[in-house]
Amino acid sequence: MSVGLDYQFLVKTFFIALSGVPTALIITIVSLLIALPLGFLLALSRINRIPVISQLARVYVSFVRGTPVIVQIFIIFTSVPLLLKPIFEEYHVKTNIYDINPIWYAFIVFSLNTTAILIEVFRSAISTVSKGQLEAAYSVGLNNVQAFRRIIIPQTLVVALPNICTATVNLIKATSLGYALSLKEINLRAQVAANVGYNYIEAYIDIFLVYLLLCSLVEYLFKLYEKRVRKYKAVDA
Amino acid sequence: MEKYFDVTYIWDTLPQLIPFLKVTFMVAGLSVLFGTILGFILALMKLGTSKIAKKIANCYTTIIRCTPSIVLLFLVYYGLPAIASNFGTDLNTLQTAVFVVITFSIQFGALMSEVMRTAYEAIDRGQFEAAVSVGLSPAQAFRRIVLPQAFVVALPNFGNSFLELMKEGSLAYTIGLVDIMGKASLIISNNYNSHSLEIYLGLSLIYWVLSILIEQLFSKLEKIFSKGKQLIKTT
Amino acid sequence: MLEIKNIHKSFGKNEILKGVDLKIEKGDVVVILGPSGSGKTTLLRCINFLEQADEGQAIFGDMVVNLKSATRKQIHQIRQKTAFVFQNYNLFNNKTAIENVTEGLIIGRKVPKAEAYKIGQQALEKVGLSDKINSYPSQLSGGQQQRVGIARAIALNPDIILFDEPTSALDPELVGEVLTVMKTIAKEGTTMLVVTHEMSFAKDVANKVIFMDGGVIVEEDAPEEIFSRPKEERTQQFLKRVIPEDYIYNI
Repeated sequence: MSVGLDYQFLVKTFFIALSGVPTALIITIVSLLIALPLGFLLALSRINRIPVISQLARVYVSFVRGTPVIVQIFIIFTSVPLLLKPIFEEYHVKTNIYDINPIWYAFIVFSLNTTAILIEVFRSAISTVSKGQLEAAYSVGLNNVQAFRRIIIPQTLVVALPNICTATVNLIKATSLGYALSLKEINLRAQVAANVGYNYIEAYIDIFLVYLLLCSLVEYLFKLYEKRVRKYKAVDA
Repeated sequence: MEKYFDVTYIWDTLPQLIPFLKVTFMVAGLSVLFGTILGFILALMKLGTSKIAKKIANCYTTIIRCTPSIVLLFLVYYGLPAIASNFGTDLNTLQTAVFVVITFSIQFGALMSEVMRTAYEAIDRGQFEAAVSVGLSPAQAFRRIVLPQAFVVALPNFGNSFLELMKEGSLAYTIGLVDIMGKASLIISNNYNSHSLEIYLGLSLIYWVLSILIEQLFSKLEKIFSKGKQLIKTT
Repeated sequence: MLEIKNIHKSFGKNEILKGVDLKIEKGDVVVILGPSGSGKTTLLRCINFLEQADEGQAIFGDMVVNLKSATRKQIHQIRQKTAFVFQNYNLFNNKTAIENVTEGLIIGRKVPKAEAYKIGQQALEKVGLSDKINSYPSQLSGGQQQRVGIARAIALNPDIILFDEPTSALDPELVGEVLTVMKTIAKEGTTMLVVTHEMSFAKDVANKVIFMDGGVIVEEDAPEEIFSRPKEERTQQFLKRVIPEDYIYNI
């Protein structure tokens, strides 16, 4: 084992790992597109204590935050086929349930997971925007939808942005668990390459580097964006 | 192999898994212990005057924050023995749990350094100045005035990080640690994958209850320690 | 122009308004005085539906609205005819001064952008903030923020502007600039309903002063009358507390 690193393999596998980036990004983007609006609406339902929905959202958030993502993945991966089977049979869908592209499972798991995280993020962000902002919007003749779209949501987003960034980075990192769904993302691709010659260290260094690049890039982009939307906050407080 | 859902399997799973909680707790407890020490050192580096130390600590935090737990776990698991063997030490006989504790101490240290830094910075500079002005030494001012207040600020974040650690710790099953997660996957493979949903549901129940209990514990602690703070708020 | 009849409002067991009637004509500047907790602010907020009254009626020109069961549309219509100046300004934090002023015009009233901008510019000029058009609220002092708040109100060209203690949150040295602006727009014939603790404003600018206490109107009259010859015991007590003795009789 003391032979040092196989640099040729290291370089080759880096690009194999890199080829998993689009998969990780698609999952991240689809999950965010679903989770951002859903999380915001459910956060509103929690704040306004809308009966039933509010309680359901609370239990849902508690479960997702209280259990490991890997367990959530396994639960979805084993339960969805059981749930779909009777529906497929009922409507004579020809597709074999076990042939479904695993990326669909990934969409379900990660958007459900991220929604729960964002409910909490938005809940605390909305509560930092004062009620006076809404009242002022009403007083100049804006209706409910206009007031939220133009005044409340933009301010909420700015407050929530750092936490949305964290949630996004965590989401990207969590896609590394896609191996459990046999999803060909960064982690699994490099692992498979490593299996041939037991070059695990090299493979994991590559995976590590790809995630480091990807996540720091995302963090950097968020910082840039934050700077742009934060312009209304005092430069010197 | 006919798949069907049977609720009783969920209940039957619980007594099989619960004894392995002690492994989960032990690994989490040790990681918290070492991680907190590491986090404290990193926080000192971040708050100190040395620019190099600050850079190193910030870099460390960023890198760890950008690394998925499972990747870090495997890097430690394969990497440490390889590095050690270059120095003539054989670490391959070490228990799996050691690698798990090392991994999560590294990770928890990064989390804690941020928790401690923000808590320290949340305390108004005036508190320290007031303490020095009544004749306390800087060290005394820090220990008696700043630290207790920073502790209260840090408490909820510490609780969250602890929960995070416990959940991420479940990934240790991938290198063969038999905690509750590891035991659950053993049961499933012994069953030839039948009723795996029920077993995972049972497992998730244990994690869920555990998380709620930890959350409650920390909010109780917060209430106990933040008495002085509430007084300030109401008057 | 605006008539409020028999308005009642409770918060839990606490009855804040116990049947208040109010009549305001076009061009009136009405000042409501009274100790804190007397229901002045609540009255104002009920008129603009920021609180929902438990009982009462508002007659706005030819519009008759039940304050308790007004429809969404009616509420919207009344808000279109009124403007509100808040105690803590409530400028939109994410908008510049000019955007704050034009928001209601462009979005609420669908005024074309160029026209709204022109109106906004004029309004900001009127409050003396032409040079702060593109500043965000966080870059303005309290007095400047409140002047933007007033500009936001007058830009809407409302039938009436409701002022809720517009100077209470300000440092003493900033009160003057806001009162000056309020005086200017009062002189231009703007109809105003003002809750304030600034006696000088009530004395110099108002044409009617209302004294409220315990959720009812105790006394209402021209400022000269109220300040020099208060009829009610409670009014006398209040004025004695807030104005130095000789000041009252020197009017």
